[in-house]
Amino acid sequence: MARNQEALAAVDEATGTYKWGFSSDIESDFAPKGLNEDVVRFISAKKNEPEWMLDWRLKAFRQWLKLESPDWAKLQIAPIDYQDAYYYAAPKAKPTLQSLDELDPEIRRTYEKLGIPIEEQKVLAGVEGARKIAVDAVFDSVSVATTFREELLRAGVIFLSISEAVREYPELVKKYLGMVVPPRDNYFACLNAAVFSDGTFVYVPKGVRCPMELSTYFRINAANTGQFERTLIIADEGSYVSYLEGCTAPMRDENQLHAAVVELVAHDDAEIKYSTVQNWYPGDAEGKGGIYNFVTKRALCAGKRSKVSWTQVETGSAITWKYPSCVLSGEESVGEFYSVAVTNNRQQADTGTKMIHLGRNSRSTIVSKGISTGRSNNTYRGLVRVGPTAEGVRNHTQCDSLLLSSDCGAHTVPYIEVRNPSAQIEHEATTSKISEDQLFYAMSRGLNAEEAVALIVNGFCREVLQQLPMEFAVEAQKLLGISLEGSVG
Amino acid sequence: MSQPLSLDAIGLPGRRHEQWRWTDLSAIDAALAGHANDAAPDPRGWLIDGVAGPVLLFVDGRYCAAGSDPQQLTIETSGGDEAHVLSRLTRGAVGATLRLGAEHATRGPIQLVHVATGGPAHLHHRLSLAVDAQASIVETYVGAPDSWTNVAVDVDLATGARLMRTVRRLGAGGVHTETLHAGVGQGASYMSTSLLAHAENVRIESQARLHGAGAFASLDGILLGRERQTYDVVNRITHDAPGGSSRQTWRSVADDQSTLSFAGKIEVARPAQQTDAEQSVKALLMTRTATVNSKPELEIFADDVKCAHGATVGELSKDALFYLASRGVPPAEARALLTESFISDALATVGEELVRAAVTADAVGWLRGAA
Repeated sequence: MARNQEALAAVDEATGTYKWGFSSDIESDFAPKGLNEDVVRFISAKKNEPEWMLDWRLKAFRQWLKLESPDWAKLQIAPIDYQDAYYYAAPKAKPTLQSLDELDPEIRRTYEKLGIPIEEQKVLAGVEGARKIAVDAVFDSVSVATTFREELLRAGVIFLSISEAVREYPELVKKYLGMVVPPRDNYFACLNAAVFSDGTFVYVPKGVRCPMELSTYFRINAANTGQFERTLIIADEGSYVSYLEGCTAPMRDENQLHAAVVELVAHDDAEIKYSTVQNWYPGDAEGKGGIYNFVTKRALCAGKRSKVSWTQVETGSAITWKYPSCVLSGEESVGEFYSVAVTNNRQQADTGTKMIHLGRNSRSTIVSKGISTGRSNNTYRGLVRVGPTAEGVRNHTQCDSLLLSSDCGAHTVPYIEVRNPSAQIEHEATTSKISEDQLFYAMSRGLNAEEAVALIVNGFCREVLQQLPMEFAVEAQKLLGISLEGSVG
Repeated sequence: MSQPLSLDAIGLPGRRHEQWRWTDLSAIDAALAGHANDAAPDPRGWLIDGVAGPVLLFVDGRYCAAGSDPQQLTIETSGGDEAHVLSRLTRGAVGATLRLGAEHATRGPIQLVHVATGGPAHLHHRLSLAVDAQASIVETYVGAPDSWTNVAVDVDLATGARLMRTVRRLGAGGVHTETLHAGVGQGASYMSTSLLAHAENVRIESQARLHGAGAFASLDGILLGRERQTYDVVNRITHDAPGGSSRQTWRSVADDQSTLSFAGKIEVARPAQQTDAEQSVKALLMTRTATVNSKPELEIFADDVKCAHGATVGELSKDALFYLASRGVPPAEARALLTESFISDALATVGEELVRAAVTADAVGWLRGAA
């Protein structure tokens, strides 16, 4: 309870609303279990949303009731009871630990391997009393956020939580929300539209090069955005922004179901670089627990010469269902997708991209590296579509799979649909395992088996890791090694 | 089973079904309303000259004893295959049955010709080869407007057996559907090459299961589409035993408003270590109104395997056209030359020279007709 109050107080300070009511009547901040129109209204009311936003949510909710959960992915998902979940705040607060000694030694060891400072570890593990120290010493959220916000404001960049944006920039939100991923797009996006808790809103005005890498890390209330995140990034003409999402440290989270939506809009000559490192709890070695991650990410390259680049390193979650896509409607627009997906134990990942070419001379590159071990299944599923009026389209797709155990699976399902003869579409895929020779060589140079595997896997993923911003790349490399532990020997 | 009267009555899976997403068999409706033409042309006209071997002639789903020379083959009535929506319809239909031991090799490639004149025609062929037996069969299907030829083929190859199938779709118009199930035993080989053209709608669904160690399968083909023709090929090669290898080489040429689709899946089960599977899918778009779809799919559960697939879609290289023009080759001739060489990869596995020459001539005839 104490933790929640603290968190709410932090939200309070940052948003400047909800001055009253939280501490006196905290129970009412949790919507009752289940999902119905009242819950949607409750969420909207809690966020002090204008009428149009509530209507938008309700419309989505009514649509969602008519949709069916998709089953085309190569995933085995136990039926999800949507009524057996909470849709606002997490009433089951994470169990508070008195000290790090009480933490699962496995997780602790992982933290240490990642080189996470001890205070930050406490925050991640949810140790009682750690938040404040961590906030000051490590994140210093309030001051960091404020400093950054000032600097960003000077540049003209709007960087807010989406609830704030709904209140402060309703016109922008109204114009763009649901433009790329309309609520009825798919089952999970529709659910998200009805009950999204919070998320990020970024607007980069004309000609502005965002002065820093934006990250959820620095957003004060990032820790409380919960399971239904909604992100909207708009890059106006000639602007540039790089956005980092996620965190390399394994996050403890009691919410099993995550359904996020990310929408990107790039206007003429604008560029958006979106990097993700996802390491949610994957469940234990027997596949118990673990996060269900159903994400809809899509970018609209609306403008001429606009560019969107998705980079993702997916190592966590019990189930990953995620296809960051680009609709390339601008002339000479560019879409890129770089992905590393690692699955271990009983994890299942079905991930890939869609490149929809509508603009003349639009180009796209897809590089996907799938690594599976344990008894996991790892699927690349992608679509490259060329519209009849899209002249001179160029696409190159490369999907490589690495199998590290004899009980895992690696699958590739690429769709290619071409309606214009001037298109040049290439697709290549390979599946292989680490050769004994490579391992022997690395080990003869003094590496142990695990280090040798990590080294070879990092080499396998190099093309993708290179795309990550520097600090992320270093952590991602370590993370790959850790995710594969126990896969050799 | 009583024959359905409309496409809807057949109950094909819709476009929301992943395996049927690109399939269009709408011309079946016209075929079901169509009528056979009593003055059927002589099927012997489509035999490949100089090929000595058994001959089986069919018209509109009926066996023509006159002119046929079945030798070791028999004509048997099918029980149908309840499991599949299209092969279910072949119940009660006739087809060629071959049960061959190693000691009874055919004199030369078996030739089978089916002529459709109108209306639906169903055929069910069963080809089973005993240990170390070898056979080669050339199947020629001649279509006509408002006709539908629905073929089910069961292949069973025992240890060390070899079967080579060459399929030609000729004629003008109509629908062609084929459902193949092939079981390939230890060290056995199944090889097929299909030339698909001249039909309004085509759907070929092949499933080859390599259940013996060291088995081999190759499923190759050429799709030639023009006007509003819609062709869909769905291949599934399943490696169930260690050391197997498979090849798929497909070339498509899409002209006018045609839609040519290919979905090929390679499945490698856990015991199928040391599998070597390759797939090469290339398509040429001749006009901006044509559509090409490909889905080269891999599903792999074994860790010591070599699986590769490559897919390309594009138009004829402008550099190559320019080079030929600079050497004085007229543009139409240059296009035809380059397209011929483009499709030739898919004909490489046809063993008999006479058969390969005939299939090549069919393909070239189509291409020259387009120029």
